[in-house]
Amino acid sequence: MDSDLVLPGQPISLPRGPIPQLGPGTYTRDAQVRASLVGIPRNEGSTLTISRVRPHPPGPNSVVLGSITRLSPLQAMLSITVVDGVPLPSGEEFTGVIRTQDVRATEKDKVKIADCFRGGDVVRGVVISLGDARSYFVTTARNDLGVIFATSEAGATMEPVSWQEMRCPKTGKIERRKCAKPENL
Amino acid sequence: MSTTTPTTTSVLSVLSPAEQEALKAATFQRLHPRVYLERFLAENVRPDGRPAEGWRDVSAHVGSISTADGSALVRLGGTTVVCGVKAEIAEPELDREGEGFLVPNLDLPAMCSPKFKPGPPTEEAQVLSDRLNEVLVSSGMLPLTSLCIHPGKAAWVLYVDATCINYDGNVFDAALIAMVAALKNTQLPKATFDEETGRTTCSRSIKEPLQITRTPVSMSFGIFDSTTLLTDPTSFEEPLLDTTISVVVDSTSGALLSASQLGIDATAAQDMLQTCITAAAQRRHDLRKIV
Amino acid sequence: MAQTGFDRRRINGPEQSHPPTFGTQDEVEGRWIVGQPRKARKPMDIRPIFLQPGLIDQANGSAYVETERTKIACAVYGPRQTKSTAYHEKGKLNVEVKFTPFSCERRRAPMRDAEDRSLAVAIHQALLPAVQVELLPKSTIDIFLTIIEADGIEACVAAGTVAASTALADAGIEMIGLVMSCAAAVVEQETWLDPTEEEARSARGSLVLSCMPALGTVTSVWQSGKLRPEEVLGCMDACQERCSDIHSVVAQALLENA
Repeated sequence: MDSDLVLPGQPISLPRGPIPQLGPGTYTRDAQVRASLVGIPRNEGSTLTISRVRPHPPGPNSVVLGSITRLSPLQAMLSITVVDGVPLPSGEEFTGVIRTQDVRATEKDKVKIADCFRGGDVVRGVVISLGDARSYFVTTARNDLGVIFATSEAGATMEPVSWQEMRCPKTGKIERRKCAKPENL
Repeated sequence: MSTTTPTTTSVLSVLSPAEQEALKAATFQRLHPRVYLERFLAENVRPDGRPAEGWRDVSAHVGSISTADGSALVRLGGTTVVCGVKAEIAEPELDREGEGFLVPNLDLPAMCSPKFKPGPPTEEAQVLSDRLNEVLVSSGMLPLTSLCIHPGKAAWVLYVDATCINYDGNVFDAALIAMVAALKNTQLPKATFDEETGRTTCSRSIKEPLQITRTPVSMSFGIFDSTTLLTDPTSFEEPLLDTTISVVVDSTSGALLSASQLGIDATAAQDMLQTCITAAAQRRHDLRKIV
Repeated sequence: MAQTGFDRRRINGPEQSHPPTFGTQDEVEGRWIVGQPRKARKPMDIRPIFLQPGLIDQANGSAYVETERTKIACAVYGPRQTKSTAYHEKGKLNVEVKFTPFSCERRRAPMRDAEDRSLAVAIHQALLPAVQVELLPKSTIDIFLTIIEADGIEACVAAGTVAASTALADAGIEMIGLVMSCAAAVVEQETWLDPTEEEARSARGSLVLSCMPALGTVTSVWQSGKLRPEEVLGCMDACQERCSDIHSVVAQALLENA
């Protein structure tokens, strides 16, 4: 039986010494530090948090995975399915949008969306801001962000050749995408 | 108030390596569900650990709801269905003077699955209600003449309402078991019709069970990729199936009451149907103890 | 007369049907009547609560609560994206209550009616001060309650609030404290806690109090009937004391399930 487990509203006993910074899962009220989640309070460096690895909505700087649903000349719409490594339940996706100026870091004004994404591609991105009422703003302007999985017109899974091109193993055709750098390189 | 969002690395470092692997597998399942299932079936096992022809455990609790005349709570793996029977009195139809009414309905509320939104009954709920109604009526498990109190004047109406509380696939089987168990659990008060006043009076002390002649149970199967037969599909497998086949048998006598197939007609489907009927005949023995 | 309008989305029975009427000489033995002392309990006793979190694995968080003849299942979904087109900085809390047709003595039509809405509003008012909605912009938390068996409206509000609090904690939604709820009724001159449906109907007035025992604050009071102000305050004090006991039951259930 874990006696360190605290409940929402329960005060957390602080260790002696300087008062740590308060991270998520905790709050202060009347100069008393209390928990806001069911969990074990831990000290990460100088921050006191109670963390729960649960599906949660994206916030600024969250790494998200999603699939492209719609393309327009100015932006690509994304259906976010994985937030910070935790998959969301099916039916509970968030909508994100990748604007042309956020696709890549260089030559931002010369971006053609059709040469970067196609419908059904799985993309890794980072959330820049909460955006507007309908979608979060997502960027892929980093080496490790972009398309991580795509199927070619012939139906096979493509392999990335460079940061701009992917190759279909069945037909040998090259298709243009904004690819993410694979992790093992 | 906390405002910082934890970075990926710090949050996931809470988990043990095994939990992190499980999270990666869950992410793969979310992004590529079809390939995920194919890889499991290549090893002759399903994502929840069952063999391709394995069944989930079924349990039923009856009679726990005091406001209902009969009730049952059924768990089929994760799928949970609660069913209650309420008896009311009405005038029989003009062309069916000696018969009562049996009104089954299944409700799939927004709480049972993230894919249902609040509102009127969805298409799936309507189709399932209709299929359940057909099975209960065509199986003849409860002769409607036994519900008559006085021909042409008063008859019992049995409202059999089932609600799904947790949706993990194969709601049809679970709902049928729940409805049949609730009907078997129902006790009707003894009713007497007074010719002079035209009113029906019931007795609180004398109660009679229903005259149930048969006990239909259903077994559902799904065909994946036109080749693999999966018994008792879960909510993850259901959207990936081409076809679903349901076989309804009478659990006491083994008589085949109905067989239905929904979906694309795959090759060699007739052999599949025969395999299903044989599997169902074997399975009904296990279900006899439950219902 | 239970008039069932023809609903083309459901299987329909006869146009009109009524619940069975019983003969007067057939009264149930030992039934409680107004004026008698309370049956089987002391005035300040509440019925034992059985609570099980995490029963619905499809939902982000869930709880099932059972107190003798009140059975409620609660599921929490979210935080998920709001479907509306307006941007809102604080998260929204959406509570929906549904009675099963067999939950009350008289069969309820499957349509949602005013009673569902008023119960949902009462539970929403009790929970909203506790949830930290400012941490969830653009998101909605959906709380769905299904009442499987009901023993009076007050008992439903109280048990529903407790179930919803437990489900929210199970879902990992940040709250400043757990909300507990207790109902009271004034029968003749006595205050009885946790009234059954019969007791609440015969009472002069009833009250449901929701509070956060960890912080000692009250989140909502729902009062109906004719009560003098000092009776109301007396009921509130009695309920608040009982809420601490209910809190330990919920704490036990959550710790065992974690």
